[in-house]
Amino acid sequence: MSDQTQATALLSGLKVVVLADRLVDFGGEMLARLGADVTLADTGEVTEIRQAAWHGGMRSSPASSIPLAELLAGADVLLDDRRRNPRPEVDALAASHPQLVHVVATAWPEGQPPRPATDLTLMAQSGLMHVIGTAEDPPLRLPGEQAYALTGIQVATAALMGLRARARTGRGQRIPVSALQSVTLANYREAVMYEWTGRIGRRVGNKLVRGASGVRQVWPCADGYVTWSMIDNPGMMRAVVRVMDEEGCAGELAGIVWEDILVADTDQQIIDRWQDIVGAFFARHTRAELGDWSLKLGWGLSPITKLAEVPDSPQMQARGIFVDTPQSKLTRGPLFAVHPEGQSA
Amino acid sequence: MTGALHGLKIADFSWVGAGPRATKDLADNGATVVKIESARRLDLGRRSPPFAKGQSKNHDASLFFAQTNTSKKSVTINLSDPAGVEVAKRLVAWADVVVENFGPGYMDRIGLGYETLQQIRPGIILASVSVAGRTGPMAGFRGYGNIAAAQSGHADMTGWPGTEPHMPPLAYGDVVAPMFLTVAILSALEARDRTGQGCHVDVSQIESMVHVAGDLFAGMPEEKPANDDPVMAPHGVFPCAGEDAWIAIACEDDSQWRALCAVLGAGDLATRHPDAAARRAAAPVLSQALSDLTAARDGATLEQALAAAGVPASLVLDGKGVAESTALQAAGHFAPTDHPVIGPARMPAPPYDLPDTPVAITASPCLGQHNAEVFAEIGLSADDIARLTKEGALA
Repeated sequence: MSDQTQATALLSGLKVVVLADRLVDFGGEMLARLGADVTLADTGEVTEIRQAAWHGGMRSSPASSIPLAELLAGADVLLDDRRRNPRPEVDALAASHPQLVHVVATAWPEGQPPRPATDLTLMAQSGLMHVIGTAEDPPLRLPGEQAYALTGIQVATAALMGLRARARTGRGQRIPVSALQSVTLANYREAVMYEWTGRIGRRVGNKLVRGASGVRQVWPCADGYVTWSMIDNPGMMRAVVRVMDEEGCAGELAGIVWEDILVADTDQQIIDRWQDIVGAFFARHTRAELGDWSLKLGWGLSPITKLAEVPDSPQMQARGIFVDTPQSKLTRGPLFAVHPEGQSA
Repeated sequence: MTGALHGLKIADFSWVGAGPRATKDLADNGATVVKIESARRLDLGRRSPPFAKGQSKNHDASLFFAQTNTSKKSVTINLSDPAGVEVAKRLVAWADVVVENFGPGYMDRIGLGYETLQQIRPGIILASVSVAGRTGPMAGFRGYGNIAAAQSGHADMTGWPGTEPHMPPLAYGDVVAPMFLTVAILSALEARDRTGQGCHVDVSQIESMVHVAGDLFAGMPEEKPANDDPVMAPHGVFPCAGEDAWIAIACEDDSQWRALCAVLGAGDLATRHPDAAARRAAAPVLSQALSDLTAARDGATLEQALAAAGVPASLVLDGKGVAESTALQAAGHFAPTDHPVIGPARMPAPPYDLPDTPVAITASPCLGQHNAEVFAEIGLSADDIARLTKEGALA
């Protein structure tokens, strides 16, 4: 059995019903892609992108065709999205199925006054937007619908937790999930940093600030960009400078004993001068050349792949992540690889 | 009442962020998670700021570590010592799940590869998380979460149109991948219940970031969308009164647009741009007009007025705003703990509530805090523990 087949069989036999309004979409898709039999019973309005991106593997059954009561007979899990619709009738119906794991997703935590919310406004509350972008421009979100996706993962997690609990107790339960908390959980730094140091993170663009100075994270090269930073890792710095020296372009970097200095405590003007030397070297080489050196020599550098290039990257191809459809290549491959017993990765 | 995962045993070899965030999920939900650490190869999370009372040299004082490792137990085992590996094997025999995020091949090199684990404990689930996954041409790649942003299209799509790629200001791959790892482990447990078979779940940070960008791949925009949306307009952030103060506003339909204009006192805008297509076509002009209308307003007052009018709107919170959010506090998002070194501290809780099998969050462990308890449970005598500690195997 292939890794992909294994991944799509983990939840075989599980029956899931989904009432979707963005917060549970990806959660339903995750369960479907892991082998559950997932019926999408309500979606609200659907765009082509939403359907293609977040409804893979789910069977569509509009609410008008089969009553929810009928769909819930024999169901293990109900994903109940209440971003806009409070669905007051569903609780009693779900409660009449004591085995059912009933996951209720709301934008704001349940019990608090409901508020209209979208991916953008949820992301705004996470503390992440405040630190994405540059100081001179407005805050930016992470690309795509990350607040919805993060909530969807937590919805799937909550459903699986409910199933583990059911295996012990013999009963399902009603599990509220908050999108506000789901997206805030992704921000592991800003609140705790403020709470313990009083510091508030700011937008610093592509600069990586460590100690008294900042270093670049993004560099132009011959055919695009790479990401790499001059950090306090002597072995990595020696490995980069060695190749630069072989090409006769290491300049003053060749004479630096990296173990004897701390880049984080070095004067910004000196760092900028060193970075100019590195930048000139990177500019002469392609992403592939620099990426190959990094893989072989441990530079910690990575090419920056354009979105359109990702589906055809050798790694994505090898792992079967994208599936060709008539319209586009979609992320319908396994969520992760599964290597069965008796086999190694 | 006990947690959903009461009785589940995890041997957790993972460190820093990508593995420990998943095992935190399991531990907070009642699993017994034993974190295998070593003073000789300290979890870099223990060296990561901020530190309580500025104690940057104290390996028990990191708040980064504390919030990533709640509810776990810690033992110290020197995995470069064969005697230490033998103790680790006893933990594998005890465990249902082994979790690791070492560099490629490390578990094999120390004699804890998947084949060995299966021999020790048939039905074991091995859960790995790495930058690119354990197979494919990049299987040997070493790196951190931000590399996943570069390889997944996130860096390419972050930023303003026409600008260079933008790296996220956090290791987002170290956030998303462990969420996938939690799902992977729980799914593997479901499968094992059904089939009796274990497996090796192999999570890639790059792939996890690709999966959460499903809408970008489905739409494949040629340019960075920044804060724009393919359907909604307006959809962006607008200035408010005060330094670096912003409000995010998104109109999903025309009624919300009209309500927005009513709150802002801009009825003429509502009639001039009645539908989303017209608003998207006039986006730059409209954005400036709305910015002019919001710039002098108090953000919190405007947020309340818009929410009351049914318009999705939220202040763009900074770290202080998140730490002091009344909505998060009321939801129990920050759970109180008391740590012997750090003292009273609030730790992030899961965003869900299982009333019949509740989450219970306790402080992260000090290094090796549970050596005596755990080593006794896996069959080591007090003399064994003392000898192996003296010889450096349990250090």
